Amino acid sequence: MKIRSDILRVYQAVHTWGGICAGMLLFIGFFGGALTMFKGPLERWVSAPVVPVQQLAPAQVDRVVASVLAQYPAAREEFTLHVTRHEDAPAPVSWQAGESGHEIDLGLVRWQATLDGDGKLAVTQQQPSLLAELIDMLHRTGGIPGTLGEEYLGIYVMGVAGVLYFLALVSGVILLLPTLVKDFFALRPGKNRKRFWLDAHNILGITSLPFHIVISFTVVVFAFHDQFYDGLRGIVYRDQPMFAPPAIGATPRDATKLLPASELVRRVQRQAPGFEVTELLYMGVESPRPIVRAAVASPRHLVQAAETGFVIIQPYSGAILSTSMLPGQGNTWSSLVAPFFALHFGSYGGMTVRWLYFAFGLAGAALFYTGNLLWIEKRRKNQLKNGPLPAQPRRTANIAAATVGVCLGSMAGVGACLVAAKWLHAFGAHGNGAYLTVYYTVFLACVAWAFLRGAARAGSELLWTCALAAAAIPATSLVAALVPASGMWAHTSPATLGVDGTALLLAAAFAWAARRAARRASDGALDSVWSAAPAPAVVAAEPARRVGT
Amino acid sequence: MNAEVKRAPIRPDWWSKTFAGAVLGVTLAFALAGVFAWAGPGGIAAPDKSQFVMWLIAPLWLTVFGFVWLFRSGIQAMLWLGGANLLAWGLLFWVRG
Repeated sequence: MKIRSDILRVYQAVHTWGGICAGMLLFIGFFGGALTMFKGPLERWVSAPVVPVQQLAPAQVDRVVASVLAQYPAAREEFTLHVTRHEDAPAPVSWQAGESGHEIDLGLVRWQATLDGDGKLAVTQQQPSLLAELIDMLHRTGGIPGTLGEEYLGIYVMGVAGVLYFLALVSGVILLLPTLVKDFFALRPGKNRKRFWLDAHNILGITSLPFHIVISFTVVVFAFHDQFYDGLRGIVYRDQPMFAPPAIGATPRDATKLLPASELVRRVQRQAPGFEVTELLYMGVESPRPIVRAAVASPRHLVQAAETGFVIIQPYSGAILSTSMLPGQGNTWSSLVAPFFALHFGSYGGMTVRWLYFAFGLAGAALFYTGNLLWIEKRRKNQLKNGPLPAQPRRTANIAAATVGVCLGSMAGVGACLVAAKWLHAFGAHGNGAYLTVYYTVFLACVAWAFLRGAARAGSELLWTCALAAAAIPATSLVAALVPASGMWAHTSPATLGVDGTALLLAAAFAWAARRAARRASDGALDSVWSAAPAPAVVAAEPARRVGT
Repeated sequence: MNAEVKRAPIRPDWWSKTFAGAVLGVTLAFALAGVFAWAGPGGIAAPDKSQFVMWLIAPLWLTVFGFVWLFRSGIQAMLWLGGANLLAWGLLFWVRG
């Protein structure tokens, strides 16, 4: 397909500047996003086994619920019944002081209740791990701290990055159209580094284009939906209600007259055949509007939230209040919107799609990384035949250092947080208080290191750091298993072992990349930003290179 | 065919085109989403429709933004998108009654 060269030139600039401005932020977003596909396993991996995972009969669970409501007024505001129980939610009932808010509370304390050996209520206080929440926040904010109004500042910045990302996608496709047929899947390794990175960048971009388009525009919606709704309310809906107001009963309720939890689970099950009920969130059981939000999971359906769909049920009458968040049972409009959530969250198709999205997420991160490499290579000053070694522009060297420091630093930081969770526990501290310190220390140190050492040396050194951080994850589990006295733990469920295994694979990949980077730094072309050789006047002895490579 | 070849190359006009895409694009998207809310299937009071209407804004806006540099100049972009805005807003006020 032929496209006029003036259009190509303009869109080349849109692509380059959109990509350079948003690339590093999007790298963090995609890497964090890939990890949030396994939020559950990660949370289970970092959760210390304070209480053993309880398997109780439904009747026993009903007794726990009734006793908790009778003895703990705080639970009547909001509590969770964990129908499926794991390492991070071992007891059937948990609640916390106050309602779960919008922002992450690092000092959060939770109570969990189960039955002891004599069949009596046993309540323990516990600090739930918030690591997966924090990784999710890193994914949504790019790690930018601070709030703006009621929202995290980083979410808006990420929204702007989402716009730039969409522009980069449109312009990238326009740029590729003329040579699409000829160059597609032509991965040309060899002497010409830039050609190789360009081919890799194009393959990554084109093969996952639908995924990227969905992600870019959902990011914009997630970031600015409040502003969009406000605008619509002001100019479109005005006096028309935008949402049907919820029905409110007249009288306060008596928590002792609640239907048994097992009955609620049965009714939800009947409403959602083929789904697994994973938890019930009871809200305001003594208020005029008591509701239970039942989370239902199924690998065969698109669901609205990150992992589950929902059924809203009245806990006294057992009446189903809403199925609009239950796949296949909402009305036309909600079923038109639901797929966009699912397509962003990868919450369809079960484990297969989770792994696919994990791969897409890492590939997306690689897309931005290779994009930056191309920008750098394009601005490289080549050495002319037998000419003196040219000095590379300051700006190019800075972008190279920032790319290496920010991208690799964010990965090393997350790895260090996981490792810290167990080691801190061994020394009697809780991870929640330390995660932010650990992450930002490692991240900022990596960025500083990249600028101090220059991109070429820091490239392989920081990749070794990432390899070390990743390898430390299974190594810590191994130490915990071999030395039980350490106060650490090694869970053995397949999901948590998967965390160890994946980290080990990533460590190997980082080590491989580190060796390649080191080789390029020592043996690669001297006129590259990625050459570790100092840029002095000793150029006469250099072998001649062709111009334009 | 010949006229196509001889046409003057498009001008980048970064500031005016970017402004047109970012600002006129978003106002156009709001107006079009609003027209759909009132005149589209189900009318304004259809349950759960507002969420879909909100979801329309981003793809409409981003599509306009993405292709705004195809206009021959910044002035052209402003005029065309400005005109489209007038039309869409007029339509919105009309269907809103």
